[in-house]
Amino acid sequence: MISSFPPGLIMIIGALLIPFLPHIIRQIYMMVLILVSAYALTLGFGIHSKIEIMDIQFIIFQSDALTLPFAIIFHIAAILNVIYGAHEKDWNQHVAIMSYSGAAIAAVHAGDLLTLFVWWEATAFTSVFLILASKTQRSYKSAFRYILIQVCSGMFLLAGAILLMSETGNAEFKNFDINSLYGQLIFIAFGIKAAFPLLNGWLQDSYPEASEIGTVALSTFTTKLAIFCFAKSFAGTEILIIIGAIMTFYPIFFAVIENDLRRVLTYSLNNQLGFMIVAIGIGTELAINGAVAHAFAHILYKGLLFMGMGAVLYRVGTCKASELGGLFKFMPITAICTIVGAISISAFPLFSGFVAKSLIMSALGKEGLVFVYFMLLFASAGVLHHSGIKIPFFAFFAHESGIKTKEAPLNMIIAMIIASALCILIGVFPSYFYEILPHQIQYQPYDFSHVVGQLQLLTFAAFAFICLWHFKIYPPELNSTVLNSDWIYRKMIPGILLPLLGLISDINKKIEQFIVFTFISIKRFFSDTMIKNKVFDREVGQDTLIVVQLFIILLIFIFVWKIYL
Amino acid sequence: MKHLIEKFGKINTSVLFLCIIFLILELIGHRYGETSIEDILFFPAFFGYLSCIIIFKIGVSLRSFLMKDEDYYDK
Repeated sequence: MISSFPPGLIMIIGALLIPFLPHIIRQIYMMVLILVSAYALTLGFGIHSKIEIMDIQFIIFQSDALTLPFAIIFHIAAILNVIYGAHEKDWNQHVAIMSYSGAAIAAVHAGDLLTLFVWWEATAFTSVFLILASKTQRSYKSAFRYILIQVCSGMFLLAGAILLMSETGNAEFKNFDINSLYGQLIFIAFGIKAAFPLLNGWLQDSYPEASEIGTVALSTFTTKLAIFCFAKSFAGTEILIIIGAIMTFYPIFFAVIENDLRRVLTYSLNNQLGFMIVAIGIGTELAINGAVAHAFAHILYKGLLFMGMGAVLYRVGTCKASELGGLFKFMPITAICTIVGAISISAFPLFSGFVAKSLIMSALGKEGLVFVYFMLLFASAGVLHHSGIKIPFFAFFAHESGIKTKEAPLNMIIAMIIASALCILIGVFPSYFYEILPHQIQYQPYDFSHVVGQLQLLTFAAFAFICLWHFKIYPPELNSTVLNSDWIYRKMIPGILLPLLGLISDINKKIEQFIVFTFISIKRFFSDTMIKNKVFDREVGQDTLIVVQLFIILLIFIFVWKIYL
Repeated sequence: MKHLIEKFGKINTSVLFLCIIFLILELIGHRYGETSIEDILFFPAFFGYLSCIIIFKIGVSLRSFLMKDEDYYDK
């Protein structure tokens, strides 16, 4: 029996009422739902709710030191999403966002893999409506690919869960062995949602196609849910260090050449996930704190950057660097908030990114992983280049685009200011932030070496960009499509399969023609010979042919019978 | 100074001055890194500058084979 209501579930059930409420009441109602859901977090750690269906036990509400920071930030993000999307009159997106947020929160509190699977799929089926909300041909196609891949991830998870149940008798959501088959299946399921290298195409394909409020919500939940799952099930799995290092590294180059600024942010998201994956792979208390802190801070500053670009998209109708520029004088508050997000993601001291990323870098240094350490340091300079400078510079400064517009709606500004304030507060008061992390450790990010080293790295990287731009070495942004791993299933596989299917179709036709020709020949043969010899004294027709065929089959049957019996 | 601002712009000159200040700070205090290589004088500054240039160079070279027409997938 349910003893207490799991967080998130109230948001999913409550979302069903949203279409029937007038606009203002709807916004207040959604806030209340989130606060009621958050109240369940006060119950403390432990298993709070279980249900039993057909002798299978589902742990639907379990909380511990790892779930708490994710639950807190997911609730904060849900509130910010409601404020940011308050101008939207269409109830479809509000229902999708509320149930999507609720599903992600419920997933974090799942105590077994079958419960996790239910919410895992729920996040996919609710979030796809945010991509469809753009109502463009591109978004419809993208949403279709998105849901296919998300469901595929769910199938891997279900297969892993069933295999685990058959081997151990339960599907408890715990630490898994990567060397077991079920462990590998679950690892792939999480890896798809965490946008691992070559499995990341869906992220850059779908997020920029969503509505301006949809992308903000999407950037928060799906990938960070995967990070939570990795932290819970695969902490200390060494292969994650290699995968994470690759993730931090290669998206930088794609982000540099990408023209769509929201797509640049998705590459940046991929790169930031890499930092978290590396930390989970290290698996020490400091590193796990680093991964969780980074996920927490990242939801805020990446959400803020997506909010800024969403506001630009809402007002101007495009997010292409080649078409934007000079918007600072029309959208100064949006620009300042975006700059705060950019400074935070670049990990400048006194901003959230610095206090989170320092934990990961220190963990790497302590474990002596020098090569990976420098890969991440290189990636940090890359983050400054594509997210710290490129995003605000090309949208609000660069050249005069000639676009005249007005500041973002008030609700968007409020959401951006709150997110900016949180980025700064976390950066200024890290000790309060560190208290909610899973492990209690003593760590001081603000020492002379950390601060001066980071400031030198970032200011000189910024200076390099300035030199490239000032001396006109930096090439102009162009309207283009940058090939990513989704090219494999959008171009390469159809490119191989379609001619192959054509060839199979041709062969099939030839075989059909041959069979028809053979039967006609047999028919003619029997007709001619039997008529000539007056066997039946009538023209051999279809019925005769069937009799002959049955006779041949009977002969074959007798032949086989004799051989085997 | 005035000539520099005129030629290089206010923001760019400010960043240049910040760079110089952070280099001087290293000379005043003792900076150490997470790894021994980082203890080299002005290492983060060199690393940051070079990384940005390398990222730019690789990014530009990737343009030729990763960048396609905007309607590439619609064809």
